[in-house]
Amino acid sequence: MAEVVGVYATSHTPVMLNFPNAIPDADRKEIFDAFTTVGDELRALRPDAVVIISDDHVHNFFLNNLPAFCIGATDFYPTPVEHWLKAEKRVLAGHGSLGAYLVTMALQEGFDPAFSMDLTLDHGVLTPLELAGIAGEVAVVPILVNCVQPPLPTMSRALQWGRFLAKALRSFPEDLRIAVLATGGLSHDISTPRMGMVNEDFDRKFLALLAGGDDAALVDYAAGHVDEAGNGAEEVRTWLIAHGAARGVFEQIYYKPMPDWYTGIGLGRWALQEKA
Amino acid sequence: MTRNWRHPVPTPDCYAMSRILYDIHHHESDLERYKADPDRYMASSPLSARLKAAIRDNDIGAMYLEGVNPLLLRAHCLGLRIPESEFVASLRAIEHIVREENDHG
Repeated sequence: MAEVVGVYATSHTPVMLNFPNAIPDADRKEIFDAFTTVGDELRALRPDAVVIISDDHVHNFFLNNLPAFCIGATDFYPTPVEHWLKAEKRVLAGHGSLGAYLVTMALQEGFDPAFSMDLTLDHGVLTPLELAGIAGEVAVVPILVNCVQPPLPTMSRALQWGRFLAKALRSFPEDLRIAVLATGGLSHDISTPRMGMVNEDFDRKFLALLAGGDDAALVDYAAGHVDEAGNGAEEVRTWLIAHGAARGVFEQIYYKPMPDWYTGIGLGRWALQEKA
Repeated sequence: MTRNWRHPVPTPDCYAMSRILYDIHHHESDLERYKADPDRYMASSPLSARLKAAIRDNDIGAMYLEGVNPLLLRAHCLGLRIPESEFVASLRAIEHIVREENDHG
């Protein structure tokens, strides 16, 4: 049976790659060092697959057909889809059979995801992998949750999805070492009159609740306060999915508000309570 | 109360405006045709003249108020190389409208 060997979450923003010098050198070094820490830890876990929970920023999906959840189920993923992203064009290896298994299990367990065998992944997936130094080293299974266009799945549903993944990943009938990496958030606002706003209070409270162990309070807070944290903060759904998948205790690796990167930058890991 | 989104579900106008932005920033030939003659490119769209003009004139604030997807607005800024200061200024210019709406529920 498969083993979940690590669960992580990081913020993502294209400006990390496009305009890295928009913030002071010392801050940039701190942030990039934190990503390197995540990359080193992930590499040391020797994962056979990394399930990456992110969102599609209206590239693969449009308003004519926009799934709440979509699981990638193929063996390769070109990236990045954005012609303007300052990142090397590459094809990430996928783990198609794990993706297909998750789709099948989800349908059996009362979830109704879309699946895709043709995704060109965007900065949400690529940026953390690049900064962590593991892009191209690991096979990925993307799970894309709609955080970009209402109506959105609820915060509660995101946590339910995570709990489903906790069970499904560990039931995959191969001796596979699986890591989970959620990417998105924290507070930020894109293309609104508040653009540039970072809500540090929201971010720190959300991170504290992740570590606190009261999942009902965590979900209630995210649902009740996300409008104060910006449309980009809707991406905390990815953190909630990771939280549900981990069955562990959240540990913050790094946090700092970075308004000149338009985003609250957070990274964390879950100390897993069980290892097969 | 502050809200992250203009509409709980996109309106048909919002869809049609977003459709134009999506197409011109995901298909190079569409971008070329749009830049060559925006009015001609949008001629077959069901949008009103006012909404077509908002797109043609890069009136980011007006497009935001109509509920155009914010990620597509961002792509529009980057794809058409609209200066960041102009992009943000157009959004800041409608801040009072949004605040008044929020104050009145």
